[in-house]
Amino acid sequence: MAILNVKNLTKKFKDFTAVNDISFELREGEILGFLGPNGAGKTTTIQMLLGILTPTSGSIEYFGKDLLKHREEILEQVNFSTTYTNLPWVLKVSECLTFISYLYDIKNRKERIKELVEVFDLGGLLNKNISSLSSGQNTRVNLAKSFINNPKVLLLDEPTASLDPETADMVRKILLKEQKEHGISIILTSHNMNEVETVCNRVIFINNGTVVANDTPQSLAKTIKISHIELRFDEGINQVIEFCEMQKLISRKDGKYLTVDIKEVDIPNFLKTLIDKELFYSEISIEKPSLEDYFLENIKIERKEA
Amino acid sequence: MKFHRIYGLMLRNFYAFRKNMDRLTDSFYWPTIDLIMWGLTSQFFMNMGGGNNVLLMVLSGLVMWLILWKSQYEISVNLLDELWNKNLINLFVSPVTFTEWLVSALILGIIKVIASFSFALGIAYLLYKVRIFDYGLQFLPYMLVLLLSGWTVGIFVTGLIFRYGTKIQAFAWTMVWVFGPFSAIYFPVSILPIWAQQISKFIPMSYAFEGMRGVISTGIIDYQKFFIGVSLACIYLSLSLVFLYRSFAKVMQKGLLKVE
Repeated sequence: MAILNVKNLTKKFKDFTAVNDISFELREGEILGFLGPNGAGKTTTIQMLLGILTPTSGSIEYFGKDLLKHREEILEQVNFSTTYTNLPWVLKVSECLTFISYLYDIKNRKERIKELVEVFDLGGLLNKNISSLSSGQNTRVNLAKSFINNPKVLLLDEPTASLDPETADMVRKILLKEQKEHGISIILTSHNMNEVETVCNRVIFINNGTVVANDTPQSLAKTIKISHIELRFDEGINQVIEFCEMQKLISRKDGKYLTVDIKEVDIPNFLKTLIDKELFYSEISIEKPSLEDYFLENIKIERKEA
Repeated sequence: MKFHRIYGLMLRNFYAFRKNMDRLTDSFYWPTIDLIMWGLTSQFFMNMGGGNNVLLMVLSGLVMWLILWKSQYEISVNLLDELWNKNLINLFVSPVTFTEWLVSALILGIIKVIASFSFALGIAYLLYKVRIFDYGLQFLPYMLVLLLSGWTVGIFVTGLIFRYGTKIQAFAWTMVWVFGPFSAIYFPVSILPIWAQQISKFIPMSYAFEGMRGVISTGIIDYQKFFIGVSLACIYLSLSLVFLYRSFAKVMQKGLLKVE
């Protein structure tokens, strides 16, 4: 069941069209990745979904109700976290969570804050000022803030940007746990393709303000035919590079390692030829096309067209 | 309009106010310094034969100006504080409405005006034995005119900040002073040049300060001055509210992120 329905959404800033007639839906309990290069229209769309930017045309419906007409009722069940905004610097973490809890119709505020402190491991931070927190701690507080109203829909704009790998992993685990336990629906933007592949059930790829793909991360990756083989050569690596050039294959050398971009179906022949030419590799790893390849390929096509 | 949301917004400001030296200084330090400086100056003129009411009139003007200044300042700085903290988005992605945000700023303004005003009255009594609060009820109508005028300026400046961002933030603490010379705070309108007298006819504050001096001299409230003052203040307040709501609608066309 669609919990959010976006139809023919357009945003124009004078002559510039930032978002051009996009339509999509977010299903109940789904994590939807919202991808695209910088300036593609992701943040503009997110702002419209939050009601802090008026669309030029089109409609946004949450739970079957129009956002513009039922803003207060809808935003009681929606929340947002981003790296672009801060909580007030001079306030303590506990003060921030307290005042924000009053902005929503929460029945037992103290109890809810206690739960969030536990989930996001904020116990040691409650009496610290926001200004004294590290970026990882700040992200945890921001996420706790975004869960304060037990939202049915959560919009996350690069939630793990500028986090160390351990904290980023913790954030991802929390998101997946909340999705499973509470059936929360999430829209997530990220430049970390591995993260999107791990976390998202579906991906919308947006470029130049239009939706260019809408599918699972795996299906999008499958549209790319090029795999990467990483080979280790103790000797003869330059001959392999020459051979790749002759075959018009892209290769990258890193010490004794060579990475070759090649179609999956051509791999057996390529390896056989190397052995026939007595160019022996001592290690091999084959990387299948990923969402990142899809992303890079689409940007490449876009730039060529431009 | 939900009370718990207005309360939440006020709570955020109270938490910040306790720790913010700038805001504490604005509320208590500057009024004290002003009272000391102007009180001593007035005493000097009294000793030079300026009349017994000089001290009372000057200090009353000063304390009443505080109502105007604080009520406008609190509204504009409330928005600036959210912009400086990049917190505006956090507020408006919640169910908080623009009207609730404005109402919270107005209520906060009233509370802070009462705190600063009471503090200044106490200081005036402690330092000079001037009992401005004896005129409390008679000053009340004029205080209302000043409060409404302060809101008018504050709301207008807030509308400008929404439109042009923090690059014009200095207006938050300077714009109200533009009206100072025409408001006849410490002197009667009649000593202004003719062209300035014409302008002060359209300034509601001039009626409030003239009325206040009338109360000190005669003990009588001039209701005509009050009605003209309050009518002008209401007209300007309505216009500034229209301007503010239009500015907010305009900013929503560009996106709240653009203001921050």
